[in-house]
Amino acid sequence: MSASLSCLGYGLGLRSAYYQQILEQSPAVDWFEVVSENFMVQGGKALYYLDAIAERYPVVMHGVSLSIGGPHALDPQYLQQLKLLAERVEPAWISDHLCWSRGNAHQLHDLLPLPYTEESLYYVAGRVRQVQDVLQRPLVLENVSSYVRSAGDEFSEWEFLDALSRLSDCELLLDINNVYVSSRNHGFDPWTFIQGLPAKKVRQLHLAGHSDHGDYVIDTHDQPVSDPVWALYQQTLEHLGPVATLLERDDHFPPFEELLTELQKARALGDSVLTRRLRCA
Amino acid sequence: MRLNDWQLAFETYLLGEQTAADTALGASLMGGPTLDVSTGLAIYHNAYQARLQEVLRGDYPVIWHWLGDDEFEQLAAAYIRQCPSVHYSLRWLGEGFESFIRQHLVPEQSAALGELAALEWAFTLAFDAPEGAPLTIQDMAALKPEDWPTLRVSPSPSVQWLECAFNSVALWRAVKDETGFPGSAALGAPQVLVIWRAGLVCHYRSLEPAEAAALNGLFQGDWDFAELCSELAVICGEDAPLQAVTWLKQWVQDGWLQPRIIESSY
Repeated sequence: MSASLSCLGYGLGLRSAYYQQILEQSPAVDWFEVVSENFMVQGGKALYYLDAIAERYPVVMHGVSLSIGGPHALDPQYLQQLKLLAERVEPAWISDHLCWSRGNAHQLHDLLPLPYTEESLYYVAGRVRQVQDVLQRPLVLENVSSYVRSAGDEFSEWEFLDALSRLSDCELLLDINNVYVSSRNHGFDPWTFIQGLPAKKVRQLHLAGHSDHGDYVIDTHDQPVSDPVWALYQQTLEHLGPVATLLERDDHFPPFEELLTELQKARALGDSVLTRRLRCA
Repeated sequence: MRLNDWQLAFETYLLGEQTAADTALGASLMGGPTLDVSTGLAIYHNAYQARLQEVLRGDYPVIWHWLGDDEFEQLAAAYIRQCPSVHYSLRWLGEGFESFIRQHLVPEQSAALGELAALEWAFTLAFDAPEGAPLTIQDMAALKPEDWPTLRVSPSPSVQWLECAFNSVALWRAVKDETGFPGSAALGAPQVLVIWRAGLVCHYRSLEPAEAAALNGLFQGDWDFAELCSELAVICGEDAPLQAVTWLKQWVQDGWLQPRIIESSY
């Protein structure tokens, strides 16, 4: 069990398609995760709904543009905006991805994988500490889906995450779907990945859907969570105990009730695992 | 390859037109049991293009409708190549689209399309502009008589000002209402369009030339209320103060005005 980290329960990614319904219906969602960049604006609809929802629910900030492994200097303007947003919504924590999303000259707007080498490890660890100094809190980093990997890797991805969390004191956001997608694409055992992470550092889990093309799998967030990912999620909860769980959907948005039903499935799995663990204790 | 060199090669590949990678980048990567390196790289290449194209379609739905899927995709791809994203938020990807259109296309094509791009971008600017502190009717009622002549205002943060030579508003309206697309046409006379946000909703209004000139005098001409009345006297005679107050009331009700901060002289 992730004994040292509190569990927020079961949350949904906040998307504009559902803003009004959330305010009108106050759905049984324990918390919402917001994409930080969507709210780095000066006014209007997004901030209005963010303020209203943050008054009613705990909020976690999840960024996509920090580019912690990028070849550029960390962007002070971005970090300042992130800090201002954090002061506004008082998030339970702030996460981003173990990746690079900006190149030498341009923004690439993707979560690109890093080579898992000693050079990358020390480079990223130093930058994580810089970000934590600005934000004055641990940064939570998520494993990404990937479609190529560096031939020069000196660590597995899970060994890299483990070493990074020890070197920098960052925490981890374990995306179960991303583990599954990458395991299919690269041919590793997803359970070995999950077991290889430092359990006490796992702050949050992500669940999402993907599209299966047979020879490879793409992380699309446009459909329900697949059966193999549910099975891996259950196994993960049995291993870690209760961990804050977030269901993501970024395309082909279904009626809100469908997402609530899917979230309820995660909650039921979590409750049954917890009950079994209590019986065994 | 060192981390920085590898990332530079990856970036060059993503921004390029070809989905085939150069030998050095390909050799630095590994695929999986059933996913080879070239397919894996192509997934990233396609995703980069698709993501940026989707953002531009979202910001410029009327131009997309006008040009159709293929022509819009070509124009957007040329824009992305010439002006790759430099802001961490995709919110700002389309900022240079109007200017790109005016430079990239011949004037016969670009004049109407560029104006439409300016109109669509203005809506995005109004959409998430700061709230500001617009003057209210109550503020105006509380204004002392001696302060009226020297009253100066500036536009509220969401107010966008466009001078249209084409029927861009009709094109925009047709796509919004999903009615027949009228086709582009030059207007008989240029028309000023104001776009703004009230609460959470964006609005627009075309101004008659006299009203546009009066408002422009306040915003750009540094007029105070007394100058507005004297300028209006030329066309309205002794009704000038009444006309000025009528317009002022409308502009205040629409939330277009905020007090101009006068820098202290000491």
